[in-house]
Amino acid sequence: MRVRRFLRISILPLCFSAALGAGSQAGDVRLSDLGGRELRPFSTGTRASIVFFIATDCPVSNAYAPEIQRVCREYGPRGVGCTLMYEDVDTSSPRQTLDVQVRTHLGEFKYESIPAAIDRDRAAATRAKASITPTAVVVDRSGDIRYRGRVDNLYAALGKTRQQVTSHDLRDALDAVLAGQRVPHPETEAIGCYIADPALLRSHHHE
Amino acid sequence: MSRRILLCLLSLVALSPVVGLSQATKPQSAPVRRSQGEGRAVTFTESIAPIVYANCVTCHRPGEVAPFSLISYEDVAKRGALIAKVTESRYMPPWHAEPGDAAFVGERRLTDAQIAAFATWVKQGMPRGDEAKMPKLPAFPPDGWRLGQPDLVLDMPVGFDVPASGPDVFRNFVLPTKLTEDKWVRGIEFRPSARKVVHHAIFSQVPGGSRAALDGADGRPGFGGLSAVGILGNGQDSSSGLGGWAVGAQPMFFPSAMVTRLPKGSDFLLQLHFHPSGKVETERSQIGIYFADKPPQSTVFSVELPALFGFGAGIDIPPGEKRFTLTDSFTLPGDVRIFMANAHAHYLATQMNAVATLPDGSTRRMLFIRDWDFNWQDGYVYKAPVSLPKGTRLDVTLIYDNSAENPRNPISPPRRAVFGEQSFDEMGAVGFMFELVHKDDEPSFRNALGARTKSAIADAGKNGTLGRFMARAARERNGLQQLTLFDRQGAIVARVGEPGRYTQAAFSPDGTRLAVIKMDADSNAQDVWTFDVATGKGLAITSDDSPDSAPIWSPDGKQIAYVSVRANTPGIYRRASNGTGGEEQLYQHDRSGLLVLTDWSADGKFLCFWIGDSMFLLPVDGDRKLIALGKDPFFGRGGRLSPDGHLLAFNSNRSGVFQVYVNGIDAALGRPVAPASPTENVQISNAASVGGIFWRRDGKELFYLSLPPNQSVMAVDLGDGPTFKAGTPSVLFKLQNQVGAPAQLSSVSSPDGQRFIFAVNLPPAKPAPK
Repeated sequence: MRVRRFLRISILPLCFSAALGAGSQAGDVRLSDLGGRELRPFSTGTRASIVFFIATDCPVSNAYAPEIQRVCREYGPRGVGCTLMYEDVDTSSPRQTLDVQVRTHLGEFKYESIPAAIDRDRAAATRAKASITPTAVVVDRSGDIRYRGRVDNLYAALGKTRQQVTSHDLRDALDAVLAGQRVPHPETEAIGCYIADPALLRSHHHE
Repeated sequence: MSRRILLCLLSLVALSPVVGLSQATKPQSAPVRRSQGEGRAVTFTESIAPIVYANCVTCHRPGEVAPFSLISYEDVAKRGALIAKVTESRYMPPWHAEPGDAAFVGERRLTDAQIAAFATWVKQGMPRGDEAKMPKLPAFPPDGWRLGQPDLVLDMPVGFDVPASGPDVFRNFVLPTKLTEDKWVRGIEFRPSARKVVHHAIFSQVPGGSRAALDGADGRPGFGGLSAVGILGNGQDSSSGLGGWAVGAQPMFFPSAMVTRLPKGSDFLLQLHFHPSGKVETERSQIGIYFADKPPQSTVFSVELPALFGFGAGIDIPPGEKRFTLTDSFTLPGDVRIFMANAHAHYLATQMNAVATLPDGSTRRMLFIRDWDFNWQDGYVYKAPVSLPKGTRLDVTLIYDNSAENPRNPISPPRRAVFGEQSFDEMGAVGFMFELVHKDDEPSFRNALGARTKSAIADAGKNGTLGRFMARAARERNGLQQLTLFDRQGAIVARVGEPGRYTQAAFSPDGTRLAVIKMDADSNAQDVWTFDVATGKGLAITSDDSPDSAPIWSPDGKQIAYVSVRANTPGIYRRASNGTGGEEQLYQHDRSGLLVLTDWSADGKFLCFWIGDSMFLLPVDGDRKLIALGKDPFFGRGGRLSPDGHLLAFNSNRSGVFQVYVNGIDAALGRPVAPASPTENVQISNAASVGGIFWRRDGKELFYLSLPPNQSVMAVDLGDGPTFKAGTPSVLFKLQNQVGAPAQLSSVSSPDGQRFIFAVNLPPAKPAPK
């Protein structure tokens, strides 16, 4: 059943999820994109993959849409694959409603060229230990998480933006991975919206 | 010219961002019950919803500015951790003044207990609680005008596209009011269309058509700039501020004393600050204006500390400086009622503090902003006006951080920041708007406030701010220009040289060449050049690091004198006009200030210049001892000697506006007027003039430039008689909007009075087709 397929995440890596950090294996997460095609965001077969954890209604996440597209456009030809992972979806909504919501968002923010999936039960975020939108996670060809954190340092804190970005952390990480070098700062603090726990929301909803 | 800058700044004062005229969401103190302690469960229905409904839902509801709604339990629980975090950091609800001794209207501030309630609730797993205890959602006013049907509705004629990403956008839009009579404004309601990207708005009124040259000049609606209202305007007009709006603010009527005039025919100037949201948004705002029946009953005064937004305060912040501190004080010469405080600065400012010390030594905290954020330059209206007695001292302290550790620093790595209007410049002040308790105190307040302004400008002259500011204003005011010759009817007869940035063009005595200041935007160079009128061939006369200005030809055309500012002090120099030989210094001023050279006498013996409010003659040879031209009690400037050397035409504001006068030279020198030359203070112009005075070589006609808008070349017939007799000024031709920075200092006319030279702004390059 297609609806369930994207939740078919291999159980074994989950057992070690507590130990996961940058440098650890992301494992082979399989889910389906909005068109029903299988997505394996952490093993795209490319030299490196980026998974962007985003949300439709997080202003910080939305503000990064143009930069996320620039990164994917510029690094695509160098063998970097991109996946958008929609977090924080309303778990009480029917699947179809969610699909429409996400498709609308993809259109509004001109994301159409990037494969996207809905992380309905937060499984991919849990695997990658992403708790904030937006978070960028970079995985290399062998499946190791090489970077997790902010796209850049535009935000110093919520409500406190820099006039000028002074640290392009995601691009620096990609450059290092592509050059076969150590990523200088494999973990940075993402600033944005917390990814809510769908289980919590659901349990209260059905109270 | 310093007077002009002064007036520009004065108008800037009037246009200070009075954003707080809109009332922010009224906070009802939500019932925070004891049950919010760690010991007992904090539930949504009982504890959290009342806080959210009282403080958040004005914006956090469908169709409003906030990015998500906070109406239902699901809405809030989904954001629970985020809400706990942003309330704890006090990012939300947005309110940047710390609690002071006087409460503000619309204070959106949670109590510590309310903030703790969020944290506890999240920690306890965000329980929903008893549904029966859920409060009712507040009633929101229906869509449409909140203040009722406006008396005048202004729409942006076309939408403005806000880009998807990039730095914040500041844009000014001109909305003609088409009023046929003066009106008094008692309230303004602002309705943005792209609510997710419009962060704040500042309103003002400017003379109709006065911004036409700027509007759309870059191919998009409106024009850019942070404080284009005050500084790009010519400043001598009747512009004034009309308040503003910031995210979360609710419209309200002005305090009665702040009812403001909206002159007939004026344009409404709307400055919008946009935050790009990640996708292109189109803004097309609507403005509703509400008129009062009568003018305000009392006069509103305002004082800025420091004066003129720190123009004279010596704002010069080295890179890396973490605590650059500005302080200023003002002692009240009478009893006042303060009804509003305004805060303004750019990105480097971090803290602002304003304290009143009463004559009895007690203090009142008037405004304290612990973490200044340019995005929230609110005005703060006191719930009840703060009464302060005569002798109370207001003290303001502003702190700036120009280190790399200040995340808001606009420049990386940090660079020296000086006073200016650009986002990478700094300025800053806390302003107070007040009314007098005793009307008799008006003169003492006017004197005290006037003295503050005057000394701020004098200080700006001394510390180099004025010179820097003017040089940059001249560079930035216009894009590329073309030196253009006009005939007496205003028709273009020739274009001279390549497009560039020019100012202060002056005809040579034989009319075949031009001397001009040529500016280079990239290198900041500002040098004297000559151009051959017939061939357009240019020749650099100076090429040095110091800014040069005011080129003046010697009567034989062989030399050019000019002003050069070196080590912050101006001097007068001369060089050969064929570009050969060295430079000779003729005069060194003893302190900084704006020195403007305006003439070289026909006999070649004297140069004429002005500095401050006085004009001088400088003997070109001999001891070069200055001769004062009768210190004008007002500003006297722009002196031009008649061809026979017996008369001096000059500009003075002794009547309240600048007009052209003619004095016999004896009178000008303060000597008894000889019967042969009885001319003394003959007023030539019949309307305000900016100077640009020129005597035709035969002495039978005099030209000057009138004041913008409708700036024109004026001609005065001087007749043929043996004694000086001036006719009525007539308009030769009107300068069109595209004429930039008229050369108000020197010879705009050819010696025979047949040709006039102006730098004409070139139309901007066409925007790329979409």
